Amino acid sequence: MSAATLITGLYPPAVRQRWGTEISREVAEAGIRCWPDAVAGAARLWLHPSDWPGTLTGQTRRVLAVALFAVAAVTALLLRATQPSTTLTADPGHPATSLWLLPILLGIGLGTPLPVPRRQALAHLTTVSVRTLAAPAAALSAMVLAANSGVVEQPTGFVRVALVGCYWAVLTFTALRLCSLVARVAPAAAMPTTRRLCAALLLIGAGLALATGQSLFAVVWTAPTAGSLAATLALGLLTTATIRAGHDLRPGRTPAASRPR
Amino acid sequence: MHSADAQMLVLTVLADRPLHGYAVNTAIEGLTGRRLGPGSLYGALSRLEARGLIEPAGQEADAKERHRTMRITGTGRETLRAELEQMARVSQAGLRALGIEPA
Repeated sequence: MSAATLITGLYPPAVRQRWGTEISREVAEAGIRCWPDAVAGAARLWLHPSDWPGTLTGQTRRVLAVALFAVAAVTALLLRATQPSTTLTADPGHPATSLWLLPILLGIGLGTPLPVPRRQALAHLTTVSVRTLAAPAAALSAMVLAANSGVVEQPTGFVRVALVGCYWAVLTFTALRLCSLVARVAPAAAMPTTRRLCAALLLIGAGLALATGQSLFAVVWTAPTAGSLAATLALGLLTTATIRAGHDLRPGRTPAASRPR
Repeated sequence: MHSADAQMLVLTVLADRPLHGYAVNTAIEGLTGRRLGPGSLYGALSRLEARGLIEPAGQEADAKERHRTMRITGTGRETLRAELEQMARVSQAGLRALGIEPA
């Protein structure tokens, strides 16, 4: 795969469909010197969904719903990576340090495509869900069974590295399949309105801002590690991206012609 | 390049005739001596279309090509005229301040 194809792949789907061929041509002709501008342009367009061309009806809302789940999945992986932690938890037993999760869960609830109450649509939803989640469910089950079987106890060296690698591969695979599920059910589901998506993004951004603050607090007041610094930075970037995108979708901020279709 | 500058350049070259994305950049190169980066160019085209300042031209036979050839709208012409007049006022004030009589 060429660099031009890879960089073009970073653009939102609607922009790729409209301008993908020409972006690839420009990147291929200009070479490495245009890569920073091309990548920054893709990032700017992701932060301004109201600028995406309306190539297909409802495409922007579908892509945003998937992006919203991708943000939630990355947040879950980051949270897992920072555990055990006393400042950033996801545990009802520690409400003060788990409060950040509440707006995120509300946001996910608002941004979730809803099933259409028709037999055919529900049957399609069930089939797609089973097909998409069967593999990650099997992988998670195998991992839990292996962990509880007692076959490997106190692993060291290469075995430990391989097991940790497998663990993260299964979690990442599950996160990717969950995002795929949202993309696959979207055509047969009732997609959230732009107003709901805007509120969902802003709520998730608020939750992420709280999580970033708590993570930063831990970095400042305890001995910082490379891992905690990287997690704080990643949370901060996710916060900025979701709040910027949510702000861009606010009603009245953009002319009617540019509202996501 | 600042995104507002890129948008001005795109509007300026489209004021002359409808063009597709690559040809827009070639016209900008003819005007300024350098091409815009792909991120600046296609970001500007997307933003301008979202604001209703440009639109697909709809002249090409091929549907995909028709969608990619863009033309300036009436609102786009008005916006460009207002921006250029403001730039001309700034330019004249700057030249006078330097002791150069504007042409």
